[in-house]
Amino acid sequence: MANQPAIAIHGLTKSYGKVRALRGIDLEVQRGEIFGFLGPNGAGKTTTIRCALDLIRPDGGSIRVLGIDPQADPVAVKARVGYLPGELQLDDNLTGEAQLHFLNELRGRKADWNYVRELAERLDLDLKRPIRNLSKGNKIKVGVIQALMHRPELLMLDEPTFGLDPLMQQEVLRLLVEAKRNGATVFFSSHILSEVQAVAERVGIIRRGKIVEVAGVQTLINRSLRRVRIQFRHDVDPTPLTQVPGVALLKRDNGRAVTLQVEGEMDALLKAVAAYPVVDFETERPSLEEIFLTYYADERNSHKMEE
Amino acid sequence: MLTLFKHTVARSKGAILGWGLSLGLLSLWLVSFYDTLAAQREMLEKAFSAWPKEIWAFFGGTADFFSPEAFINMELYSYMPLVLGIFAVLAGSSLLAGDEEKGFMDLLLGHPIGRTGVFFGRFFGFVVVLLGILTLMWLGTMIGMQWSTYMDLGWGQMWLPNLALLAQLLLFGGLALFLSMVLPSQRLAASVAGGLVAASFLINGMAELSTDVAKVAKYLPMKYYQGGLAAKGMNWEWFAWLMGAAAVFVLLAWWRFVKRDIRVGGEGGWKVPALRFWRRRPARAE
Repeated sequence: MANQPAIAIHGLTKSYGKVRALRGIDLEVQRGEIFGFLGPNGAGKTTTIRCALDLIRPDGGSIRVLGIDPQADPVAVKARVGYLPGELQLDDNLTGEAQLHFLNELRGRKADWNYVRELAERLDLDLKRPIRNLSKGNKIKVGVIQALMHRPELLMLDEPTFGLDPLMQQEVLRLLVEAKRNGATVFFSSHILSEVQAVAERVGIIRRGKIVEVAGVQTLINRSLRRVRIQFRHDVDPTPLTQVPGVALLKRDNGRAVTLQVEGEMDALLKAVAAYPVVDFETERPSLEEIFLTYYADERNSHKMEE
Repeated sequence: MLTLFKHTVARSKGAILGWGLSLGLLSLWLVSFYDTLAAQREMLEKAFSAWPKEIWAFFGGTADFFSPEAFINMELYSYMPLVLGIFAVLAGSSLLAGDEEKGFMDLLLGHPIGRTGVFFGRFFGFVVVLLGILTLMWLGTMIGMQWSTYMDLGWGQMWLPNLALLAQLLLFGGLALFLSMVLPSQRLAASVAGGLVAASFLINGMAELSTDVAKVAKYLPMKYYQGGLAAKGMNWEWFAWLMGAAAVFVLLAWWRFVKRDIRVGGEGGWKVPALRFWRRRPARAE
């Protein structure tokens, strides 16, 4: 069992009426890795996670979580998983501490309470305050703590940093890295590329219920397009720059400014640009949507070639 | 299951105290009237004989209005299925569907507890909440009775109307719970169940006046509700039927909850496929 992937999903399908939410998901998450699950809103990230935890039942395909079929034995799966729902809702009548005690009771008192206090301190959360008085960000912190407090083998977190301020986002990402260092597998969904890039080793990209890519983060970045805007001191002929492999001219504002599209690493372009007097050099990371579009462009081209 | 049971009761403390104390005080106040009524029985009997029989029937009146059991039935227990029935419907319909629609169910079921455990933890909590309210109401009646000269019913005897009411409330709550598992939203389930409770109450009230209505009423649960008259002698067969019907609804709701998808938090409900028929199709672009 220990050799099996932490999560193995094959041919997973799920429809809501006529809407096909998942259209044959194939995904494997290895033990001990941090896996980022990327996709825009409505792509099927939450549906996949909820299927894996038996909150909803798939129409087809198979799922194994830590080697167990979650439909056959959901309690065994959830005893070893820490889960943060995407739409987190807590009991407003309880304090943060009482909420965590209640959830710990459901876990059979498996939490390490010293660790809970440490997490609360690191996340700057006052556990004595009633949930109803907490901001959205502080509620998320309670959610993160409840997922981590029993030191689970597998963390399944649906948008764990959504609603947190940048400092706390960093702290949560550090906690995920620490959990991995302590032997846990981390599977988290996000639609923010930068945070996935910061901690994940591999990513899966989902769009419209289908996995369009599973790759190492570096591979993904190398494949992605960037937009580069260069302002020169005087008029420049951009032809040598456009001859650099992976570079295409998007726009020439006047003789002194060009906008280029760069695919892959920047090294060759930087060396080419070094020959000119540069006033300003701006790069723009592509949005997740743009990365998707490159995949879809590839997909369309391959369809055309097949035809 | 025990943790969820305790959580259900704890989060309903306000409801138990609010409903229970209000109804307990109302019972105490009504019982305190009985001595005045009993002392002037002869005069009042003459006055009441002028009431139209429709009024008597609607308020659950009997010819034996001046006995303690009939008095307590007419003044208190005759309309309790409607008053507490609405509470049972709201609480029953939101018992699980409320947690689902808020998104709390995802968090609960993300923990190592089965759906059956969640269901019965919540349901038994609901039963205890109802028992808590009825106990406070019963205590109010009994405390009031301590100062009464004419009303002298035993503690156990006076619990029987509450037991009859409990069966009725469990049936309404079970129905609402079941509807919340099959209908698209908690609000719709509460509306349908609440409508059925109100209709059952009204039809039963009119059954004394029309044989046609009585034919319908015999299929409704209110027909088998004894109210305060249970203190004279409980009809255990009726009680068993009501409890049995409640159990059927609860088991159907459990079966549905175990089988179906948990709603997405914040969704508020599902679409009703049957109602799509009524929606106007958008004009097709040429």
